[in-house]
Amino acid sequence: MTRFGVINYMHNKIIVKKVGINMMWKDKYKVGVQLIDEQHEELFKRLSNFIQIVQNDIPWEEKLDNVKETMGFMQQYVVFHFNDEEEYMEEINYPDVKIHKDVHADFKAGIDEYVKLFGEGGFTEEKIQEFSAKLMTWLIMHVGKMDQKVGEYVKKGGQA
Amino acid sequence: MKAEYVNAFYKATQDVFNLMLDLDVEKGELEVIEGMISGKNANVLLGVTGDLKGSILFSFTDDMTLEMVKIMSGMEMKTIDNFVSSALGEVANIIGGNALTNLTTYNYICDIVPPQIIVGEYKSISMANKRALMIPLMTDIGDFNINIFLAEN
Repeated sequence: MTRFGVINYMHNKIIVKKVGINMMWKDKYKVGVQLIDEQHEELFKRLSNFIQIVQNDIPWEEKLDNVKETMGFMQQYVVFHFNDEEEYMEEINYPDVKIHKDVHADFKAGIDEYVKLFGEGGFTEEKIQEFSAKLMTWLIMHVGKMDQKVGEYVKKGGQA
Repeated sequence: MKAEYVNAFYKATQDVFNLMLDLDVEKGELEVIEGMISGKNANVLLGVTGDLKGSILFSFTDDMTLEMVKIMSGMEMKTIDNFVSSALGEVANIIGGNALTNLTTYNYICDIVPPQIIVGEYKSISMANKRALMIPLMTDIGDFNINIFLAEN
């Protein structure tokens, strides 16, 4: 929990309701592969925490450290999860692995673009809001549509 | 304006709303609009290039916009800030992208220009006197519309 910056919030005597609860996750996002589902759930949880901190009514300067910390925490997990998922797709000989990897690469490139912008001094509340909103929609769409196809392949008896 | 364009956008909207927002979308009576269109408060404009050229304008009320973002994020949204407007822009962008995929089945190859989000009260938007087709759409959380200005290149 400390890595979500909750302790810092407590010090500021600001109560962040439901921190740690996965407000974005829906069961329909499950693909039916335990490893992938667990990682997706974790990814949504980290993004959900990030968005809660970004959207909290605390002045920007006061939450900046938390925003940076949760952003890094989430970003790290995106890469970790994509690598695991790609490895899994290769193991099961998933036929569309190349297309899927390309989409992951685009996704990561999209994140890198923002990270670069933030590194160049563009770390503003507006840009972080834009970034978190885009991540949210991309992730819902990706997990809700493209990743479901991996689950369908497995269910149809694709080599596991 | 061909029925294919309308179907491509309507189908894409249904699919994206269903997937991202758990909402069904119903289509009302189409209207032809000349030149100026009245918008609602939260609008997303997408440019289309390629075999078809023009713009698509999505128009939502504030309440519906806030509710859409709440459904996706699981969090209560109070105002249309940059988080909310960016999320709305992306939803429209994804619908646009899916619509272009649908259009390829009718042999139209197009691309979209990143969304422009226009938030705020105004009376109308001028689309250079071009004729537009307005699709009114209904959902459980409110009504919105898509205005299609497209011409074949």
